[in-house]
Amino acid sequence: MDRSSHLSVILDLCPTQWLLSAQPSNPHPLSFDTFLSHLLVFLNSHIAYKHENSLAIFGALPGKSLLFYSSEEAGDPSTAEVVQPDPNSYRFFKTVDQSLVRRISREFDILGQPDTEEPCALVGALTKAICYINRLLHPAQSLSSPEDSANLPDPRILILSVSPDASNSYIPIMNSIFSAQKLKITIDVCKTFGPDSVFLQQAAYLTGGSYIYLEHREALLQYLVMSFLPTPSIRKIITVPTEDKTDFRAACFCHKHVVDVGYVCSVCLSIFCQPVPVCSTCRTKFPMKTLQRLNMTRASSLTGTGASQPSASRPTNGTPAKQVYTGLAANLR
Amino acid sequence: MPAVEELSAKDVGAHPLLVFLQSQPKRALSRLYQRPSSCLCIFRLLGPLERQIVMNVLWLDASIPASTMSSWVVREGKKQYDQALIELSRIDVLVNSATELTLSATFKASLRQAITGGGSTGSFGVPLSGDSEHPTPTIATLDTYALEKWESILHYMVSSGTGLPSTKPSAGVEFLLERSGLMAKARETSSQITSSGFQFLLHTPHDQLWALLLQYLEMSEERKTDIVEVISFLFMLSTMELGKEYSVDTLTKAQEHMLSDLRDYGLVWQRKATPQRFSPTRLATTLTSSLPPLPTATGTGGAGSDSKGEGFIILETNYRIYAYTDNPLQTAVLNLFVTLKSRFPNLVVGSITRDSVKRALMNGITADQIISYLTTHAHPQMRKNKPLIPVTVQDQIRLWELEKNRVKSDEGYLYTSFASLADYEYVLKHGRELGVILWESAAKRCFFTSVEGHASIRLFIERLGQNQQNNRS
Repeated sequence: MDRSSHLSVILDLCPTQWLLSAQPSNPHPLSFDTFLSHLLVFLNSHIAYKHENSLAIFGALPGKSLLFYSSEEAGDPSTAEVVQPDPNSYRFFKTVDQSLVRRISREFDILGQPDTEEPCALVGALTKAICYINRLLHPAQSLSSPEDSANLPDPRILILSVSPDASNSYIPIMNSIFSAQKLKITIDVCKTFGPDSVFLQQAAYLTGGSYIYLEHREALLQYLVMSFLPTPSIRKIITVPTEDKTDFRAACFCHKHVVDVGYVCSVCLSIFCQPVPVCSTCRTKFPMKTLQRLNMTRASSLTGTGASQPSASRPTNGTPAKQVYTGLAANLR
Repeated sequence: MPAVEELSAKDVGAHPLLVFLQSQPKRALSRLYQRPSSCLCIFRLLGPLERQIVMNVLWLDASIPASTMSSWVVREGKKQYDQALIELSRIDVLVNSATELTLSATFKASLRQAITGGGSTGSFGVPLSGDSEHPTPTIATLDTYALEKWESILHYMVSSGTGLPSTKPSAGVEFLLERSGLMAKARETSSQITSSGFQFLLHTPHDQLWALLLQYLEMSEERKTDIVEVISFLFMLSTMELGKEYSVDTLTKAQEHMLSDLRDYGLVWQRKATPQRFSPTRLATTLTSSLPPLPTATGTGGAGSDSKGEGFIILETNYRIYAYTDNPLQTAVLNLFVTLKSRFPNLVVGSITRDSVKRALMNGITADQIISYLTTHAHPQMRKNKPLIPVTVQDQIRLWELEKNRVKSDEGYLYTSFASLADYEYVLKHGRELGVILWESAAKRCFFTSVEGHASIRLFIERLGQNQQNNRS
């Protein structure tokens, strides 16, 4: 169906990772400048696709997240960046390109050179993007009279990620995924640099988007255009690549480790990497006896295999805390 | 997969301009594609699937084998995909879609340039900043101007049928309306609206605008104006920014001539004191989008978000109709198929009656057009109803239409006096397979075929006769 669509792009602007990405020692070095030029062409293509298509760009910087550009803001003359008109380019393209480049360079300038770099606020950016879409889907005046859904834009979020997973962001990312599912937002992930991201893989899988690990990084634009430009209705005709295997591992709530096998609270399904007497989330007290038994099996399996991770033992039914594959928790929608 | 079906249904009707472009020679198309703004606009007029195909191959330097691309297509979408490729090659965007896919070189270069910016074609118009003496017109001024011009054209059409006085549009507009068959000369001085003109009134403004512009294109073709310049000027207008002024310096002679015509249609605003600059109106800047091209008639802002509050008609199950409008044009259009009872400052009350609908049908308006007009202009309050238009009213309007078409005439041939029932049925079966039987009666042993079927049925009977003779001897 030919209707307008909304795209929110989240840029991972972790300076260290981009520096590593541009190293010539990489098999396919990709500098931030090249990345940005490819990205701008992609953004312009999205606007070219349809006059009504809207766009929002969020940046995840160390320790903070920002809205760089939004179609709404650009349409409002009081907040829009002043763009010198040019007879050789389409003004919408120019507005996007200029305001994005200006704001990114402004942010990089004030970044300075801190001694320790804070992790990138990817979660903040993701949450802002979801809130932005929520506002688009439910404009204030329509609260009294529900609009027919035909005019609502098809919302999508594209995350361009370079930094590795921060395991303490597991819970907020999972929560964002669930809200995205509720709003019928498709989350696409393009892993431009760094190791595969377990959490973002799950985000794409659970919202019906696609997760792509960029192999030929000089062909970034072609990847972007072919996989992330089509709207969900077009993807039913021309397919886009999706992951055939998704890593469903979760992070435990106590130490934020990504675990293969963990202990799940039988009341609230919180995940722990070791048996705990009281659930930290719902305050359920577990019987002493079970704890002792779990600790014993854990100790024996640890000595048996010599592995640092708690390995699987036979699930014992009827006990308050039991071991399950944490992948199950991720499957719960 | 309902979404896919909807997509295909939408794809069937390509944009009228693309149909027009298909009839143009390749050289003209390739000249048109030299301008980045034209390529961008044509790209936007394409169907969603076609747009994606263009995008997929836009940044490839070499052509890619057709099989590589089609391996991405799901089996159910194969037909639509092939159809899209054909559409693209028809307007010469895609070359040689049999074995490998590649965009036409000019189109590729220009669309790339449109998206990346740069170059020196100046195809997006040379903007000027307003001077203190002649400030740039505000968006509100432009909207009022466009609305006034456009509604005066439509109002002229409506009132020509009723004989009420109305301001005559310029000679150019009048000529265009007559040429397009929307109006016809009744007497020496005045022209009368035709049945297609009545149908035209019930279309959406967007369709109306394109219908007139296509007529304009055909007219320019006859006048031996360079069609490429006309189209590319229209596209340039549609990429311009509302509320900005542009210079006429870069325009060609033909395009400058067009300015005066477009001013009459309300697409372009120009001040008499400053003929060297012009501003596009909302009518022009929304040519390649599906946003409403006209600000709301009631004047509640005119921003894009308010456009959905456009509906003003409430229709009840008892055929009573309440239209919250003080716009003379909307009242006049309603008057085409509604018996108006009373008028208030912001409200018109009337009812849909057999006579009023019959009158509309006589004018050539169809029942479906009436219903679709009521649907698109329904008041937000009515949008809560499911179905939107009361079923009783819908059915009754359709029944009234059927009433008019009680007798249907077809030209054809009657076959009678078959020797045996077996012969009759044998021939009838053959006719049915061809799909040419219009009427049949087994009791009278006769049937009626359409003109096209006559020759083959006759041949069939003759052969049958020969066979029977051969068998006998």
